[in-house]
Amino acid sequence: MMSVNGRDPVLSVRDLTVEYTTEGGTLRAADHVSFDLYEGQRFGLVGESGSGKTTTALALMRLTQAPGRIVAGQVVLQGTDLLTLSEDDMRKARLAQISYVPQGAMNSLNPVMKVGNQIANGFKDHIDRISGSEIADRTAGLLSGVGLDPGVARMYPHELSGGMKQRVAIAIAVSLSPKVIIADEPTSALDVVVQREVMLTLRRLQEELGAAVLIVGHDMGLMAQFATDIGVMYAGEVVEIGPVMDMFDDPLHPYTRALIGSLPSAVHRTKMVGIPGLPPALLELPTGCSFNPRCRDVMATCHRVDPRLAEISTGRWASCHLYGAGERAAAS
Amino acid sequence: MAAIGSRSVSGADVSKRLYRFVRMNRMLVVGLALLSSVVLFSGLGYLFFDLELARINSAGISQSPSWEHWFGTDAFGRSIMALLIIGTPQTLLIGLLAGIFGTVIGTVMGFLAGYVRGAIDTVIRIVSDVLFVIPIFFLLIFVIEYFPVGAVWMMGVVVGLLSWMGTARTVRAQVLTLRERAFVNMARASGAGVWRIIFRELMPNLTSYLAASFVQAVSGGILFSIGLEVLGLGPANSQTLGWSIWWANDYGAVLRGFWWWWGSPVLVIVIIFLGLFLTSLGLDRIANPRLRQAG
Repeated sequence: MMSVNGRDPVLSVRDLTVEYTTEGGTLRAADHVSFDLYEGQRFGLVGESGSGKTTTALALMRLTQAPGRIVAGQVVLQGTDLLTLSEDDMRKARLAQISYVPQGAMNSLNPVMKVGNQIANGFKDHIDRISGSEIADRTAGLLSGVGLDPGVARMYPHELSGGMKQRVAIAIAVSLSPKVIIADEPTSALDVVVQREVMLTLRRLQEELGAAVLIVGHDMGLMAQFATDIGVMYAGEVVEIGPVMDMFDDPLHPYTRALIGSLPSAVHRTKMVGIPGLPPALLELPTGCSFNPRCRDVMATCHRVDPRLAEISTGRWASCHLYGAGERAAAS
Repeated sequence: MAAIGSRSVSGADVSKRLYRFVRMNRMLVVGLALLSSVVLFSGLGYLFFDLELARINSAGISQSPSWEHWFGTDAFGRSIMALLIIGTPQTLLIGLLAGIFGTVIGTVMGFLAGYVRGAIDTVIRIVSDVLFVIPIFFLLIFVIEYFPVGAVWMMGVVVGLLSWMGTARTVRAQVLTLRERAFVNMARASGAGVWRIIFRELMPNLTSYLAASFVQAVSGGILFSIGLEVLGLGPANSQTLGWSIWWANDYGAVLRGFWWWWGSPVLVIVIIFLGLFLTSLGLDRIANPRLRQAG
């Protein structure tokens, strides 16, 4: 689909669809999500709560839990479709190939295990023979890599601050030099100063490893600073993908335009504009484009035809009839 | 809180650490001291005390405590001291076996129900709920009335087999909430297998509970067994602490003012219970670092 400088993507997601079966019916929390991740890229997945960001992130790790299930799609990591792997091969791929920095640093560490042991577990799970001294060396290296004192290894999570805990979570995520790091709102519970430090740490490690980062969040300001590319999700669908600067300068999709319009700017002192209406309930999606009830540029086709994500100009993708996007493939 | 920097370990350092440990875990230390005093009493007794005095008519009849017989003698002319020395380990053995069986069965059942869920969960829940509404003590009286236990260890096993439900229920409930915690998901996302999640992520979070429930099961086992023995349903031909009380009761020791006859085994039992209780509280502190005070 996309290709940057002729390179192959590290992670290629195609038509990933996750459904939840509820009492009210079956809803699609992620609907034919497709995007590519390249080495060194920092891809920000943004959207309102319930737009399917975390659902997508968890599905990439194959951690979708009942009543949710992955019903279709491919998650191709360096030539292997993760969705076809056996449960044990997938277990081995986690952390070693594709790792996860969870939402909410406060609870992501085991409260009764010393930090060092939690880092060591990753080595023990993935490396057959590793000596205790090597584990200790690597753990100390990882901790200093995220800007913590190696002595932190002997501490319990409740002795650390939120930012320190999130750094530990990042240390675990990079411990086996994965190709792809998925960070799900990694700084959601931290104050802005610590947020920035943690993001800079993540960025430095990512650059050192040459890994690709998929970062999930709803803070557009943070994304603008951190990400190289942005994917915008709305009601379970990816509605726009593009390089971060292009998107901020000239958003294509009306939803992206509204999102960026709702951000305060220090340069242009204009009245902030919100987005009218609320995101739709996934069980009662409008026909045609899901955004049509809130869209300022709504047209007649928007009520009938669901637009397909199409490349509008080089590297810039949007699913909107304004740009003559075709009809999406019928839901499979 | 322990210092973070690495320290060399010298002799003075070790004693300092020991002192710190004792100061931070007073309850555990006192509890273990009480328990070991009972064990020590019995152990030294076996080594140095003339246990022939536990035979009928080997000492004077119904004598109050004296320098010769510290805990007096009973109406059969047995030294109470000798009876205590012989009875204490038997009673402790029953408690230990009941505790091990009850806790192990309860933990396995709780994990099966909470982690595997599905049909297994339903079966375990129904069985434990049904057993729960039957008063265990009456069930034990019924079981032992029809199938008299011949040996001390059988008593412990029977009590253990009928007292796992509480542990199973709580472990199940804990596992149900723990398995959804962020750190368990994090472990899963980091490629941890089922066994590592169960033993490294979930179990350590349950240690305090399991330790407390083990100690509770031990006390429960001792309490049930003593109750049964006092009713005359103990293992035949054994000399547990409960049997001593049964004999004392049977011979009207309370009414006849032989306070040392029933009082001595009760004292040992009280020390055991107090020791177990403090140990369980102390273990809770250790397993749950957040309860630890800075000191």
